[in-house]
Amino acid sequence: MTRLMRTSELEKRPVVTMGGEDIAQIKDVVYAAGGGQVGGFTLAGRGIFAGPLKSSLAWRCVSALGSDAVMITDESVLEPTDVVLDSSAATGGSGGNVLGSQVLTDGGTDLGKVVDVIIEVSQGGARQCDVVGYEIAASPGLESSGTNVLIPLPDTIAVSGEHLIVPASAKDFVSHDLAGFGAAIEQFRAQLEADR
Amino acid sequence: MNWWQWLLVVVVIVLLLVGGFVAIQARRRRGGVIVDPARSPRSRGGKGA
Repeated sequence: MTRLMRTSELEKRPVVTMGGEDIAQIKDVVYAAGGGQVGGFTLAGRGIFAGPLKSSLAWRCVSALGSDAVMITDESVLEPTDVVLDSSAATGGSGGNVLGSQVLTDGGTDLGKVVDVIIEVSQGGARQCDVVGYEIAASPGLESSGTNVLIPLPDTIAVSGEHLIVPASAKDFVSHDLAGFGAAIEQFRAQLEADR
Repeated sequence: MNWWQWLLVVVVIVLLLVGGFVAIQARRRRGGVIVDPARSPRSRGGKGA
């Protein structure tokens, strides 16, 4: 069973241990530049005076991603942020926030700027969390210019610097809400597969 | 200056400091979606490529 959600829904979601302790809240979602797999979350403390924490939560340590809280077994599963961010953080690498980045097709058309990121959470046996689409403020390159639309991503995502590159055919599978977006992703990927 | 003018100045300074601190905290706590270039490309569960 899978479900789609916006990463903005995860922001500020409390991280709670199985013992009932509310230890942190989600700050950033970290995902791989290549495959789109969500690797984990950076955390902020609870309360208005608490800043970002030095420890982060790897996706493999999440027991459950519920609608009201992220459940973990206990505080010991938290890891240093550098570990969760791999060497990009440790080496001062180029990992950056994609919100506000420009989305370009591989044909060079500007589709708009990213306002949110859509993830697919698989539950059950093989729990996985992947980035499957972007919500963008559509530019004049799209028919829905001026509105926010959802654009599907292929299995392999190209991310470089300030630009996010998608296949030109992605704009034919634009959705306006999450309800029909799952089907749009499947159709888009099936078409890419057929074109290979 | 009268005592109440000094009090007003102190109150304004305190409000500015508290407001600045809250604004900085809100900025530090604001979330995002971070791309991690160090993670290697991979295909996702049975969906090809």
